[in-house]
Parts: sequence; C-alpha cells; structure tokens
Amino acid sequence: MIEQLTRRLVLSAPAALWAGAAFAQQKEPFRFGALMPTTGPEAGYGLDFVKTYEMAVKDINDKGGVAGRPLEMIVLDTQAKPELAISGANKLIDVDKVAVVITAWSSVVKAVAPIANRTSVLELNMGANSPDIAHLGDYVYTVFPLAEVDVTALAKYTREKLGKSRAAVLYINNDTGIGGAKIYRDVFTAAGGQIVAFEAYDPKATDFTGVLLKARVGNPDVVHIHGLSELPQVIAQMRQLGMPQQITSYSAGYNPKLLAQLGAAAEGLIVTSLAPTAGTNPNVAKLLDLWKQVGRAPNGLPYLQYAWDSTVVVADLFAWVDKNKLPVTGENMRKALLEIKTFDLPMTGKLVVTNDHRVDKPVYLYVVKNGQFTLLDTIA
Amino acid sequence: MTDPVILLQILWTGIAMSSYFVLFTVAFALTLKVEKLWNFAQAGLMGIAFYTMFWSLNAAHWPTWAGIVASVLLTIGVTIGMEIWAIDVLRRRHSSGLIFFIFTLIFSQFVAFLLTLLFGTEPETIFPSVMSPVRIVSGIAVSDWDLQAVGLTAALLIALYLLIRFTRDGQFMLAVADNEKLSEIYGISARRAYILSGVISALLIVAGIWLYGTRAGVTPDVPVDLILTAVIATLIGGLGRVFSAGMVAVGLALLQSFSILFIASKWQGLLLYGILFFALLVFPRGIPAWRPRRIQPAPKPAAPVQAEG
Repeated sequence: MIEQLTRRLVLSAPAALWAGAAFAQQKEPFRFGALMPTTGPEAGYGLDFVKTYEMAVKDINDKGGVAGRPLEMIVLDTQAKPELAISGANKLIDVDKVAVVITAWSSVVKAVAPIANRTSVLELNMGANSPDIAHLGDYVYTVFPLAEVDVTALAKYTREKLGKSRAAVLYINNDTGIGGAKIYRDVFTAAGGQIVAFEAYDPKATDFTGVLLKARVGNPDVVHIHGLSELPQVIAQMRQLGMPQQITSYSAGYNPKLLAQLGAAAEGLIVTSLAPTAGTNPNVAKLLDLWKQVGRAPNGLPYLQYAWDSTVVVADLFAWVDKNKLPVTGENMRKALLEIKTFDLPMTGKLVVTNDHRVDKPVYLYVVKNGQFTLLDTIA
Repeated sequence: MTDPVILLQILWTGIAMSSYFVLFTVAFALTLKVEKLWNFAQAGLMGIAFYTMFWSLNAAHWPTWAGIVASVLLTIGVTIGMEIWAIDVLRRRHSSGLIFFIFTLIFSQFVAFLLTLLFGTEPETIFPSVMSPVRIVSGIAVSDWDLQAVGLTAALLIALYLLIRFTRDGQFMLAVADNEKLSEIYGISARRAYILSGVISALLIVAGIWLYGTRAGVTPDVPVDLILTAVIATLIGGLGRVFSAGMVAVGLALLQSFSILFIASKWQGLLLYGILFFALLVFPRGIPAWRPRRIQPAPKPAAPVQAEG
C-alpha cells in the first residue's frame, strides 16, 4: 500500500506540475518590459541577458507561474542608446501597458528615468552601476550594486592591501566610465594615494596610444581602466607599449572572451564581481548547466545572475500585488518593492532595498592566474 | 609628453594606425577618379571582406591563406557583380549622381543588416587574440602588426603606382578618368577600366580590413564609420588625386594622434569632423596641389600709343 502511494505521488508530482503550468498558461499573464541592447556593440552582453531572462521566466512558469498566472516578458532593443531606450520605454508603457520595466546600461537607465517618474511606472536597474542612478527619482530602483560598492572596494584594496600609491585612471567617455572613474579617483585619493593621470577616451576609439602614453608619463604603479567592450584592446596596446604596471578593472572585465583575446597579457589583471560563483552557490551551477544547452559560455556571468534574480524580484512584486488584491500598476509595484524590502534571491543571495535607492553586496575580487579568473579576496 | 621618445612613439604608432585609413581612402579615391562614383558601397565590401575572413578562420577553421583568398575572391566577385548588374545599368539609364549615391549607400546598409543577421553584433576580431609580438627599438615599441601594416600598405601603394604609370591598363584607366567618351573613340574600353578600378579597390579594401580586424573589434556597422574617414581624406586631398588623398589620410591620423599633446583624448574623434567642416568651407575642391612656378617670358614692350589730337 505504501509502495503504491509512493509510486502514485512520484507519478502525480510532474503531472500536477504540468497541470499547474498548463493552468497558468491559460490565465492572463503578468507582463513586464525589458529594455536591452539586442543589437549594436553591446549586444554580446544584452543578448545573454535576454536569454537568461527567458530561462528565468520559463523556470517560474514551469513551477506554476505567479499566483497561478504566467509571467510574460516583452523585450525591446535599445542598442544601449538613450534615444532608442526612450522610444522603447514609451512603447512598453503606452502600448503594452506594463507596470515595471527592467533596464541596464547607465545612459539607458538615466534616459528612461523621467518617463518612469512621469508615468508612475517602476524602473528596475539590473546591470548599470553609475552612482547617479540612486538619484533618478521615486520610481527608479536598482537591484544591482552601484559603482560605489565594487569600485570603492577595489580602490581601497589597491591602495591598502596591494600598497599601490600612484594610480592612473583611464575611462570610456560615457556615463559608466565617467561615474566609475570619479569614484575610483576619490576613494584612492582619500585613502592617501595619488592620481597621476585621469584620462577619458572616445567610445569609438581604436588607438589608445595617446592616453596610455599620458598615463606612462605619470609613472603610475597601478592603472585602473574603466571601459566596456574595448577593454581588451586598451590592455593589449598598454602591454605592447611596454607598460608592465598592475591593471585593475571592474565587473565588465570579468569576461572569458577577454582572456582569449589577451592570452598571457591578461595575467595579473584584477577585476571585480558582485555575485557568488558556482562553487559557493549551487543555483549558479544550475544556471551554467542551462547555458551548456545553449552551447557556449555566457558573457558576464555575474550580470546574468542579476538578470535571473531581477526576474525573480519582478515575480515577487506581482505576487505581492496579487495577494493584496491590488491592481497591477506602477504605484502598487513600487509599494510592493518597499513593503517586501528584503528578497532572498537564488543567484546572488539576500537583497535589501533601501530608501536611498541603493543595494549593498559583497565584492569578489578576481585575479587572472594561469589564464583563469582566480578568487583573490572577498570584501563583505 | 615632450620627451622625444614619446613623440617618436606617437609618430610611429600614428603612421602604423593610418595604414588602413590610407588603403580605404585610396580605394575610395580611385573609384571616384575613374568611375566618377562616390562609392559608399565600399563600406559594404569592407563588411563582406571582414566577415568572410572571420567565418573562414573561426567557424570553418581554414588556414589563414585560404581565408584571405576566399575574402579576396568574394569581395572582387561582389564588386564585379555590382558593376555589371547595378552600376552599369544605372549608367545606361543616365541616372543622376544622386541615384548612384543613394544606391551605394543602400547597398552598404543592406550588407550591414545582412551581416547582423548572420553574425550578430558582438565585436569580433579576425584572430581570437589581439596581441602582437613587440620589440623595443631605441625606446620605441614596434609591434609585428605595425611592421605588417606599414609594409603591406607601402607595397600595395607602390604596386598601384607602377600599374598606373607603366601598364597599358593603368594608362587606359587614367584616360577613361580624364575623358570617357574620347577614350572610347580611341578604342579604350571604359567598362574594362571601371571593372579594373573596382577590382583594385576591392584588393585594397581586403588588405585594409585585414589590418583593422587583426587589431580591433569589428561589428557590421563599423565599416560605415571607416568609410567616412576615407571620404574626408578624399575631399581634403582633392577630387581625382588618389595618392594625395592617401597622404591626407596619413596626415589626419597623425593629427589625431598628436592632438593628445594639446587636447583631452576624448575630443580626438571630434577633431576629424572639425577638420572636415573647416576644409569644406575653405577648400571645397580640396587643398590645391603644389606645382613649381613656370618662368614666364618677359613681356614685350608695348608699342607707344599716339595720343590723338
């Protein structure tokens, strides 16, 4: 009898799950928007973000959806450009009537912010780190730590633990680069270090000889590069100019493609990450298993962990609104965010949303050693 | 920054970096000279050349020489095809210059969209690694890429000069460039000259995109930016002066490189457009070519004029 019951439970569990999922599919979905660069130079990251959202949405729907209703994502391309983000946000809000929009890339987050505030739609940043994001208005929140978190930790570590005293800061001339570089400069200086060069380069540049030589003249003992997809070229040209200094960068540098492009020249590079690895969090291993089915290593794994978790946050907000029998509006989604406040997320751990529109997370420092990112230190 | 070693480093790197700009500029200026065509389709050809090499080496895992040969053949093939089935058709219809311009622009955009669908928009390089071995010569870092870039560009320009100066086809190209109708009266095939200039341009484009793609990441819309530099250099160099345009491309690259001594590096990109704006206003037909002044014979004394009355 017990054996029969056990067998029935085992057999009926997937059937119930399937039935629940099928039931969820029949109901009106909870829709949310995502503004991501699916074309353009940043698409390498953007497409992987979208792929991860799809995985997370499927995972949630396979488990029965949100309060019995399916979760549905509407993705629009921004090319990481503010002008496209604005038209995308207007379309999502006016036509698709979404109550929450997920964004990334600092210039995009900033461009969408006035629309989110004006229309009372919740904007959630999941990957941009400009410090300005904390001051963009009542409807703009972040689930991703802003540059203060990892760049501050990195600058302090470089100065205090590595004992570097003369830093050159090179950065891409956009919101991400400007914001991050200023924080590095201020923290490093406050810790007693000296900034010997502070140079921006054009986002379309392919030759960085000039800025690198300006840095070399200052005789730095560490060079912090706050760039994006051009980061490998900057490092390559720096090494080719015979500059042996320690190089640091932020989470954009934590990318397997960078190792392939630079080979031995990447050795010693220190980068940050804001998410735990598969070794310390088994859920990350599951995410990597899903990516194995895609057939390649994902770009920027820590960002993808936040992409997954931001989907979970959105699902939790819908569940709260539904539980409290409130209409799905931006105002109520914001209310849900501030009421729930603490989220236990599968990929990046505990998230506490504060009234100052910031989140705090441990910072993982990695160094490239023998062609691999190796954990150097964790700064809680 | 005024240390001679630094100045020489900027000079050397600037010259090396100008190599692909020179090749793209000469390709653009040659087509303009012979065919009288502002051929923005060359941006599309750059994309075709790059992604053929990229696919051959990284997806099909062909040897490097095979990837280059495939790229050359496909780029030349598309050039000839476009000449026969598009440009020549427009020419026979006596289409206006604006139609030619729009056609070439649409072609390059079409290719960019097609390449986006096929290869995505992530920046790609021809080889997985962007590193190149370096040697220090009198304090100046000289990479293998620099030597390859300067050597390849110089060899191709010399070959082009010799072809134009000492071969019948080269002379015919010049004749057609000078006066198409008159050339045909003398039995010179204008169509052959057009195709030859297109093939030479295609070869220069493949070489240029090879140099660019082994140093920096390429996305399908990068060639449009590259062709703009070629247009600027051609305009400043003077319409119809192929090698002058090439020299201007070197000058522009050096000006951008040395500008770091005077302005913040983030303004370097803007400098190029500032120069174009200035040049179009002051030298709408390009910077005048320098020619030695001829010694004029002394004028004969005028005959005395008899006053009337």
